[in-house]
Amino acid sequence: MLAGIDYFIVIAYIVGMLLLGLYFKKFVSSSEDYFLGGRSLPFWAIGMSIVVSDIGALDFVGVSGQAYRYGISVGNFDWVGSVPAMLLAAFIFIPYFWRGGMYTIPEYLGRRYNKSVRTIASATWILFFALDLGVLFWASAVLLNVLMGWPIWISIMSTAGVVGLYTYFGGITAVIMTDVVQMVIMFIGGFALVFLSLDAVGGWENMVEKIGTMGPEYRSHFDIIQPVNTKSPFPWTGILFGLTFVMSNAYMIGNQSIVQRCLTAKNEWHAKASMVFGSALKMFIPILVLFPGLMAVVVHPDLLDGDQALPMMIKTILPPGLVGLMFAAFFAGLMSSVDSLLNSTATLFTKDIYEPFIKKDADDKHYLKVGQITTLVLLVLGVATAPISSDFPGIYVAIQTFMSYFQGPIFSILLLGIFWKRTTQWGGLSALVIGIGFAVFLNVFKADFFTIEDPFLYISWWSFVLGFIINVTVSLLTKKHSDDELEGLVFSSKIITKSKS
Amino acid sequence: MLNFDWLSGVSAETAKMIFFGLYIFIGALVLMLPNDYIYEGIKKEDRHWWNNLKVWSIAVLSILATVYYQF
Repeated sequence: MLAGIDYFIVIAYIVGMLLLGLYFKKFVSSSEDYFLGGRSLPFWAIGMSIVVSDIGALDFVGVSGQAYRYGISVGNFDWVGSVPAMLLAAFIFIPYFWRGGMYTIPEYLGRRYNKSVRTIASATWILFFALDLGVLFWASAVLLNVLMGWPIWISIMSTAGVVGLYTYFGGITAVIMTDVVQMVIMFIGGFALVFLSLDAVGGWENMVEKIGTMGPEYRSHFDIIQPVNTKSPFPWTGILFGLTFVMSNAYMIGNQSIVQRCLTAKNEWHAKASMVFGSALKMFIPILVLFPGLMAVVVHPDLLDGDQALPMMIKTILPPGLVGLMFAAFFAGLMSSVDSLLNSTATLFTKDIYEPFIKKDADDKHYLKVGQITTLVLLVLGVATAPISSDFPGIYVAIQTFMSYFQGPIFSILLLGIFWKRTTQWGGLSALVIGIGFAVFLNVFKADFFTIEDPFLYISWWSFVLGFIINVTVSLLTKKHSDDELEGLVFSSKIITKSKS
Repeated sequence: MLNFDWLSGVSAETAKMIFFGLYIFIGALVLMLPNDYIYEGIKKEDRHWWNNLKVWSIAVLSILATVYYQF
C-alpha cells in the first residue's frame, strides 16, 4: 500500500524525532530537569503535548469505528468530556499542585491524606502504565501491520529505539517538545484526510442528506444528545454524570501523565494557560478522528466491522505522499503515548516508591539516574511483554476497563481532599479501597444492573458516589487534621483573593 | 435506578438545555475569578486582554456551546 515517497516521509519522520529528542539531552542535569523540565516550559508546548498524549494510533481507528456505528455522539468525549474538566483543572487544581512544587498526584494525596493513600494510588498507576506499555506496543504494531503492511517487529523496535533514546536522555522536555511536532503531523495528516473525504462525499450537506435516507438505524447519527433508553454506550445521562462529572475530571486532574506536563510550566500563568489552550485544541480532535468515520458511512456503507472505516477511507481517498503522512501520524500517536507512559511511570516510581521506601536522602544525581534506569527497564519490559498480548485478544480493552475502576474513587478523594477541610486520612483511604472494590463488583455483575451495551460511564459515576459518601461518613467519625497539617493543601478563597505575587 | 431510568421522561431538547446551563454556569464561575489570580505569574505591565485567561475560557466555552447548538 505504501509508495516510495510514503516510505521516505515515514523514515524522515522517525529520524527527525530521534534527532529532535536527543537535542534536549543538554538541558538535563538534575532530577527536576528530568521529571519537570526544570519548570521552564511554555504553555503552548504543554497544551499541545497534553492533547497529543491523549490520542493514540488505536484511538484514530477506534473512534472512527464508533462514529461509523453510533454517529456524532462519540464526539462528546472530546467536547463536553474535556473542556469543563480542563477549566476546573486550570483554575483550581493545577495552581495548587504547581505552587506546592509537586512531582506527582500521589504526592499530593500523601500530603493531604497519608502515605498509604499515596502508595496505593501510585502503585495502581505504575501497574496500569506498565501493563499498558506492552499491550500498546503490540496492539499499535498489529494495527500498523494491517493498515500499511509494516512488519510488527519493525514497528515495535523502531518506536522503542527512538522513544527510548530520547526519553532516557532528554526526560520530559524531550517528551513534550517531540509531542509538539507529533501533534502538528497528526493534525496535517488528519485534516488532509477530512478535507479529501469531504470532497469525496460531495460536501457536508450532501453527506447529512445521504446518511439521513439510509434507514432508521442512521436516524440519530447527527444527534449529539442520545436518549436515556438508547442501546449505544452514550446516553446523555452517562455523558453528563459519568463522563462530564467524573471520568473527565479524574482524567484531567488525577492522571499523572497529563498533570505532570502542567507542572513543567515556567510560571503559574503558563501552567493554567496550558490547560485552557489544550482544551481549545481538544475541540478539533473529533473533526480528525470522528468525521472520517461518518463519511465512511456514505463511501463504504456495507462494512461489517466499523473499525474498518478509517483504513478503508485511507486506502480509497488518500494519494501517495499523504498516505505516508497519515502513517507518520499513526506513528506520532504511538510514540506520544509510549513516551508519556515511560516518563510518568519513571517519575511515579522514583518519587513515590524509591525515594520514600528504598533510599531516602540520596543526592539529586542519584534520583536522576534512578529515573533514567527505570525508563530503560520499563522499555525493555514493554518490548519483552508485547507478544504476550497476542495470546489475550481482549487484553487492551481489559486494561482500559481496569483503569475505569479507579477513576470514580480517585476523583472523589481528590475533590473532597481539596474542597473539604474535614476530610481525614481514614476517610480517603476507605473511599479509595471500597470505591475501587465497588467498581469491580459493578463491572463483574454489569449484566444484572445495567441495560446499555457497555456501562463504564455509569460504573464510574456510581463508584464516585459511593466513594464520596464513604469519605464523608468515615471522615466525620475520625479525628480531623489540624490547620497546620492542611496548610497549602485545601482550597481556600485566600488563594484567589490574595495571589502569591 | 442505576440506569437513570427515572430521567427517561426528560426530552433530548431539555437535556441539551441542561448542557447549555452547565456551560453558562462554568463561564459565570470563570468570570467571577479575580484578575490578579488569572494573571498570576505575569508582570503587571505585561498584562493585556489577549493574555487574560478569562477571555480564552469564554471563547472555548462559546465554541463548545455552538457545537452543541449545531448538533
